[in-house]
Amino acid sequence: MNGWKGTILRVNLKTGTISKEPLNRQWANDFVGARGLGTKYYVEECSPSIDALSAENKLIFMTGPLTGTLATSAGRYEVVAKAPLTGTIGAANSGGKFGPEIKYAGYDGIIFEDVSETPVYLYIYDDVAELRDATELWGLNIHKTTDRLEEQLGEQFAVAAIGPAGERGSLFACINNDRNRAAGRGGMGAVMGGKKLKAVAIRGTGSVNVARPQEFRRDAKKARDMLLAHPVAGGGLAAYGTEVLVNIINESGALPLNNWRDGSYMETADRFSGETLADTFLVKNRACFGCTIACGRVTRVSEGPYASFGEGPEYEAGWSFGASSGVDNLAAICKANFLCNEYGLDPITMGATIACAMELAELGAIPEEDIGFKLRFGDADAIVTLTELTGKVEGFGEKLALGSYRLGELYGHPELSMSVKKQEMPAYDGRAIQGMGLEYATSNRGGCHVRGYLTSPEILGIPLKTDPLVTKGKGALCKLFQDLTALIDSSGMCLFITFGIGLPEVAEQYRAVVGSDESDEEILLKGERIWNLEKQYNVAAGVEKDTLPPRLLREELPSGPAKGKVCELDDLLEEYYAERGWDEQGEPTKDKLTALSL
Amino acid sequence: MKVKFFATYRHLTGCTVREVCAPATVGDLLRAFAEEYGDEMRRMLLSGAGDDLGPEAIILINGRNILHLGVLDAPLQEGDTVAVFPVVAGG
Repeated sequence: MNGWKGTILRVNLKTGTISKEPLNRQWANDFVGARGLGTKYYVEECSPSIDALSAENKLIFMTGPLTGTLATSAGRYEVVAKAPLTGTIGAANSGGKFGPEIKYAGYDGIIFEDVSETPVYLYIYDDVAELRDATELWGLNIHKTTDRLEEQLGEQFAVAAIGPAGERGSLFACINNDRNRAAGRGGMGAVMGGKKLKAVAIRGTGSVNVARPQEFRRDAKKARDMLLAHPVAGGGLAAYGTEVLVNIINESGALPLNNWRDGSYMETADRFSGETLADTFLVKNRACFGCTIACGRVTRVSEGPYASFGEGPEYEAGWSFGASSGVDNLAAICKANFLCNEYGLDPITMGATIACAMELAELGAIPEEDIGFKLRFGDADAIVTLTELTGKVEGFGEKLALGSYRLGELYGHPELSMSVKKQEMPAYDGRAIQGMGLEYATSNRGGCHVRGYLTSPEILGIPLKTDPLVTKGKGALCKLFQDLTALIDSSGMCLFITFGIGLPEVAEQYRAVVGSDESDEEILLKGERIWNLEKQYNVAAGVEKDTLPPRLLREELPSGPAKGKVCELDDLLEEYYAERGWDEQGEPTKDKLTALSL
Repeated sequence: MKVKFFATYRHLTGCTVREVCAPATVGDLLRAFAEEYGDEMRRMLLSGAGDDLGPEAIILINGRNILHLGVLDAPLQEGDTVAVFPVVAGG
């Protein structure tokens, strides 16, 4: 079976039963893999009405058909479950080397059911799969957990683990593999922690069969050469990492400042930019499995109160702890980001929740005694202190661990949560980049930039340039980007390939691996099917309608190229729903679902 | 007027920001920079005979991309801020 191993591993954590079952080949064809296939398995097995933190919620690790092959940047896997933060379908993908090891061990995916009585980890070495006691690992952070398992099992094992945040149920806890690569958003780590599953350690010695090897080698090399020749994918991202966006987004007037309250331009943003990171704390760059882009940052703050070592920050984390919190101290931002990787927290939601707390505190809505100190925007020490408290889920960190929406609700101001469907929006102002406002509002997992990254055409001009202040045409563009992203996420490749290649090169590699003769359009249609499947689940789960925080709809930007602008969401949604073939309420019609065989 | 340089343009120019007298258009400004800083600067900023924007440049005037302002014919005036970026991406 080309591109696939043909086997799903099913692990019941309550009974300790581990079984192997054949992959559903029809689903693998219709929903591609990873995000799409994991979601298909999930919706077939779990009711949309369950509590995300209950034993009924299943946790699925799923690879794509290209994961572990020599396709471009094809080292990714997806974690799927109902998301505790949002109540939506949760799907978070990650790179590193963990995903390929699942395939090499002989599996396409792993489905975890129910809850263990005591902490366990899943050990997999090819055919051998067993649950092992993790009592001594429980309470350790992600790096120490990984160190311990590598010491015991060998460095050839890839480890995905949760930290204390996941163990203690932070609603935005993530799962990190290879220490610093994260299935980051929506709280997948809380689902794993609720199951008392501390880690998965996996090693495989197999390989992945390819249907048409000669064609595949040609197509993969062509795509790789295109990436290497591209100024971004072949140079810029390796030199500066994703933090290189700080200055261009800031200069475009789209870098939200102080919980999006004070416009979207920060005078001192260059202090935490990719250029400054490269000149100060960058040790080297790092690549995930099979990746020529190598955007990862290995960074060290050598001295001072924030001395520390780790990876990152990525642009969105740099923003959340930076401009969003009014902080321009790069050492403190690095330290807060490292803590997220150690405790297992999504840094976007972490920084944005601290920013929300800062605004609530400045308003006087949070009593100083609740926090323990006077909290204000610009407090570099606070982003570190509060991240540590949240990682431990202690003191005021217990409230922060709920995310900004529930924090705002607790203190009487949910409208100050800069979130969509209770998940915090990242670092691009939807008033200055209208298409991003639409993307946030319609994302199937709540506020998110990587479901349809319209910043690319609206600001960066990749693969074409559109005006960020214009709404017309954004509905069609958003749909196209969302469908293509669903396809790429599901293939096992990294979304960043789209900075250098497009649908034709993705489809070529997919066809050669699985042995398909489908057209580019037929393959892209699978992305649309996946998007509609996710939406169908959200509708059934009673997830709130597509909208944005009132601040983006009513408060005009005070300065910059988008001065006087709000996000024109009604216009954007009308065009988007028409493009999607959905009704005016934003729900897939029966005809649309039938056309997509859903 | 003020010109800000970012990423690789900082290495090419050796500065992050400089003050210049505003020429008539942004094309005039970029051609002057190509003349001043040499071949690599010209290759990145301009294409053809210097009549088109180069493939490795994103130019903003007061935060607006010149692709929406008439490209190289975009007018400049004293008080403007021009930002010069290579093609970058991330996310």
